Amino acid sequence: MRINRRTKTIGWIALSSAFLIAVTLLGCFWREAALITDFSRKNLAPCKEYLFGTDFMGRDMFVRTITGLSLSIRLGILTAAASAVFAGVLGICGAVLGKGADSFVTFLIDLVMGIPHILLLILISYACGKGFFGVVVGITLTHWTSLARLLRGEVLKLKSSQYIQIASRLGMGKLQIAVNHMIPHLLTQLFTGLILLFPHAILHEASITFLGFGLSPEEPAMGVILSESMKYLAMGKWWLALFPGGLLVITVLLFHMLGDNICKLLDPGSAHE
Amino acid sequence: MKLKAKKISFRYHTGNRQILNEFSLEIDSREQVGLIAPSGFGKTTFCKILAGYEKPDGGSVLLDGKSLKEFGSYCPVQMIWQHPELSVNPRRRMRTVLKEGDKITRDIIRGLGIEEDWLNRFPSELSGGELQRFCIARALGERTRFLLADEITTMLDLITQSQIWEFLLEETRRREIGLLVVSHSRPLINRICTRKVEMEPWT
Repeated sequence: MRINRRTKTIGWIALSSAFLIAVTLLGCFWREAALITDFSRKNLAPCKEYLFGTDFMGRDMFVRTITGLSLSIRLGILTAAASAVFAGVLGICGAVLGKGADSFVTFLIDLVMGIPHILLLILISYACGKGFFGVVVGITLTHWTSLARLLRGEVLKLKSSQYIQIASRLGMGKLQIAVNHMIPHLLTQLFTGLILLFPHAILHEASITFLGFGLSPEEPAMGVILSESMKYLAMGKWWLALFPGGLLVITVLLFHMLGDNICKLLDPGSAHE
Repeated sequence: MKLKAKKISFRYHTGNRQILNEFSLEIDSREQVGLIAPSGFGKTTFCKILAGYEKPDGGSVLLDGKSLKEFGSYCPVQMIWQHPELSVNPRRRMRTVLKEGDKITRDIIRGLGIEEDWLNRFPSELSGGELQRFCIARALGERTRFLLADEITTMLDLITQSQIWEFLLEETRRREIGLLVVSHSRPLINRICTRKVEMEPWT
């Protein structure tokens, strides 16, 4: 049987989402196990029993890594979705509600974009009391800008496009045009924007936790695991950094691929290929 | 019915060049008028004003003595654009393009040579000529009284051109739809039109 591009794309989407869902569920399931300390097995190198080895407190690094990834994925989905909604509302309002609203939205975008991401993220997270809530608010408030700008531009472009002008001459109302002509363009933008936001959200979560402004140190988060492992790297405990770091990279790549493949399916230019 | 453009003046707010200066034209719904002018004389702009896409700076467009707005949301003066690929939404299937028009009959679809199989495709999967047929069909809705054809067959081969024009002529004559043909091609206009108008340059 010849496999065409469409089936291959769907296959990749199924595979990557299956992996991500499996990690998320396993992490929820192992929440307690990740916190167990056992000093009789500390600093073990990777072996059959402990695939990723154990750390200085005798915690199983495999369980800890999966739990950390699971937390990152959940946090990533939450923040990416929240900032996509934020971006959608502001971007569309800017383009539709007239000049005043538009310059206000553009001003907000420039303001947030002008300040370095990580700095603003640390400030907001710190001001919101760190922890899960602080990280979510921080990432949401810093990551909506590029998507909002994209959506605003898209609506402005659509408004002046020939086919929308023709539709209004053919007697379609504003709402009808918005639903029939604009939403198909905006939805794909919003959706792919959301998925591409996800890796950013995860990496920023990991980096501010690493810097100490994010999640609390006892939580099995990627940033915590990586920053702890830094102290032991010089002592030859390479497995503490390598496996969690590698898995984080793989997760981010998988999400990126998921986004790319869904893009290909939704775009009419390649939908029938 | 009579479509009357009275002393239309227009300039785009971005440029400072006057495009149209007190240009007047009258079309009866039983005639086919050819409009000839070199590039940049405002043929397309004039069509856009006639079909209500742009408001003229001076002058007025009247259909049977009434302004276009009084005819409701569907504009009885429909324009077919030069570039069909810009006139259809790239994210919607061709079936929806025909639905946008005002009760497009099967005869129109068949007469323009639109095949059943094209209806499920996206615009990027059809050629320019095939797309243009959809745009023409869409403009031929029930309430259309005047049709403005702005270089609609310039990019097509001769056989397709003659097929489309033959159908358009027959259809507009039968339904008494007034036709304004904009073209660079004099032979085409001589062949189709009952009357010829040349736009004069103004300095």
